[in-house]
Amino acid sequence: MNRRNFIRTTATISIAALPLGKLNAQENKEKKEFVGVLVDTTRCLGCRLCEVACSEEHGNYVPDVKNDHALEKIRDTSEKQWTVVNRFETKNGEVFVKRQCMHCWQPACTAACLTNAMFKTKEGPITWDGDKCMGCRYCMVSCPFDIPKFEYNKWNPKIQKCNMCYERLQEGKKPACVQACPKDALLFGIKRELMEVARHRVYSYPDKYVHKIYGEHEVGGTGWLYLSAVPFEQIGFRTDLGTTPYPEYTKEFLFSVPLVLFGVPALLFGLNLLTDRKNELNKNERWENE
Amino acid sequence: MEFYYYVNIFETKGLEYLLLICFLVLFILMVRYISTSDKKKS
Amino acid sequence: MSNKAVLIGEFRKFFKFLIQEMKPRGKWLTPFNIISIPIILLGLVILFFRFTKGLGSVTNLSQQFPWGFWIGFDVVTGVAFAGGAYIITFVVYVMRVEKYHSIVRVTVLNGLLAYIFYAGALVLDLGRPWHIINPIIGNSFGYNSVLFLVSWHFLLYMIAEFVEFSPVIAEWAHWEKVRKFVSALTLGAVIFGITLSMLHQSGLGALFLMAKPKIHPLWYSEFIPILFFVSSIFAGLSMIIFEGIISHKVFKDLIGEKSHYSYEEIILGLGKGAAIAMFVYYFFKALIFIHEKQWVLINDFWGYWYLVEVIGFVLIPCFMFAYAVRNRSIGIIKIASVLALIGIILNRLNISVIAFNWDVANKYYPSWQEIVVTLMVVFSEIWAFRWIATRMPVFSKEN
Ligand code: SF4
Ligand code: SF4
Repeated sequence: MNRRNFIRTTATISIAALPLGKLNAQENKEKKEFVGVLVDTTRCLGCRLCEVACSEEHGNYVPDVKNDHALEKIRDTSEKQWTVVNRFETKNGEVFVKRQCMHCWQPACTAACLTNAMFKTKEGPITWDGDKCMGCRYCMVSCPFDIPKFEYNKWNPKIQKCNMCYERLQEGKKPACVQACPKDALLFGIKRELMEVARHRVYSYPDKYVHKIYGEHEVGGTGWLYLSAVPFEQIGFRTDLGTTPYPEYTKEFLFSVPLVLFGVPALLFGLNLLTDRKNELNKNERWENE
Repeated sequence: MEFYYYVNIFETKGLEYLLLICFLVLFILMVRYISTSDKKKS
Repeated sequence: MSNKAVLIGEFRKFFKFLIQEMKPRGKWLTPFNIISIPIILLGLVILFFRFTKGLGSVTNLSQQFPWGFWIGFDVVTGVAFAGGAYIITFVVYVMRVEKYHSIVRVTVLNGLLAYIFYAGALVLDLGRPWHIINPIIGNSFGYNSVLFLVSWHFLLYMIAEFVEFSPVIAEWAHWEKVRKFVSALTLGAVIFGITLSMLHQSGLGALFLMAKPKIHPLWYSEFIPILFFVSSIFAGLSMIIFEGIISHKVFKDLIGEKSHYSYEEIILGLGKGAAIAMFVYYFFKALIFIHEKQWVLINDFWGYWYLVEVIGFVLIPCFMFAYAVRNRSIGIIKIASVLALIGIILNRLNISVIAFNWDVANKYYPSWQEIVVTLMVVFSEIWAFRWIATRMPVFSKEN
């Protein structure tokens, strides 16, 4: 609980709570850091075993990888599949890119959710809780990566999105997709360490990789990181999202709310008194509330 | 790659002040335009 | 014992009174009834499918367009139109301008019903509406959500408006003591209501702040909340003018000549307010346009569409209002108010639907079912309004 508050407080830069927040941070640092996954697109073969493993783990639609020719089109994750692999033709040949929730550091979806159904766990994954969600789909409007998907054809619809196999993480296992990957294209770990691995790869093979780690700073940093041999906009990434954490965009508005709630009633009441005085002076008939 | 770049927030300020002055002038004209109707009638 | 008997007796009397009032009055087969009854029935059938087969069975919503016509029109636009109530209560109760006292009740009633029906339409759009109590009873407060704030303010504002309107109900039911009591609450409710309105009118805009990469840059601005608030002022005023003109025709015999300010004076005064609010709004738009250096975006379809909205439906009605006020022409004011209302619809729909994900291949457009349900909401609101207006002392202002 404290941990969660801390993230939120720093996210909204609450000056008053800062000293307290700092204490919490130190205390928690030994305990846990957010986890993530490093995706090295240069290693991915496009076998789509991660898609299969994901769907089997979560009881979703399991694609027939051999025969469905799904790579011919660029697909998006859907309410039936939490992750998909896409093929892009680039000057370096075929590049395969896995797509799923990025597990943002400061996610727009949890800031949007008015019931805390979208929730950033203290381990890092963002989970969805069906007992809380009211299906407003504001998380879908807010997510910069268009990840949460909604079951439009059910009377009892769910929001479907990757939860980084939160259940498995709690048992001390890796996410199913990471486990399934035969080429070590996916690497699971703490983000700080993943960043070291990623930088090491980029620095050791400067000709092989573009000098950028997608997810290091995007939308305030994400849990999933990507390495690539070609510029990221060529393999389906949005590079115009900025580095501002998305909750920051609503911060000013939300901060002004208590100010308005304090200030405006007093102002209005003052105005009311003022006009009353005027009426008295004008010897108009006294205003009566009916 | 390019995470830090300089954003000049003052680039359009001149235009903005110009607009503001135009606005004030026009606003006065507008208010005068609207409120003369009462005089005309009475 | 006897106390109880008296209470029961009172209750019985009131119940009888209520039953009596429930009965329809006047002719049944008016053109309005002939159009609205089938639509309301059809809407109910559609809603049945919506709740059994899911949203996808009746709407064109998709993963790329999670919010469609029901949110964009019913909720976002409907609430802007209901803004008149807070402006008029501000002018009458806070500033004590007696001139508009005669329209306070009807405006508050309109606002209250608009919130109940249009904000209530939000429930139709929720995928899991049975969890709507979650953010309210507090087992899961998402304080950091703008939508949390907006939904709470809807709720509180409805209560405030109900308190503002309750003297009329008490008068109708002949509860003298209750009337005195709730009347005393009016000023408090008004002040509270205005504050809430300021916040949730702008909050509806703030909802879209996090959709930054999805909304066309001509419509996205960090100042959306302020723009929404300012535009709700003239949206509300135009709506009062528009509704006033209609109800002046329809409920002619209910409107007494009690107020010594003529109806024309009131309309002209409202028009004046609308003209000034629109003028300010236009310059806000211009300021943002310059600040964001948006002229590079103006020379394509979206640019022209933007100009249509901002010049055609803000600047022109603004000048029309000004011209009409100066020349005391009610006719032009009517046209101007309709134009201003269209402008608001355009603006709200642009942000929430039309220029939202403007560059994707399969754009969203509302299905006929969505439109029928929207009409159903509007018509049932008019039904409720008519029922109340013909029974309670809404159009009068006697003490
Ligand atoms: S990618 Fe979208 S759904 Fe995933 S954590 Fe970020 S904002 Fe939330
Ligand atoms: S749809 Fe559910 S998870 Fe998404 S914001 Fe609404 S309540 Fe939260």
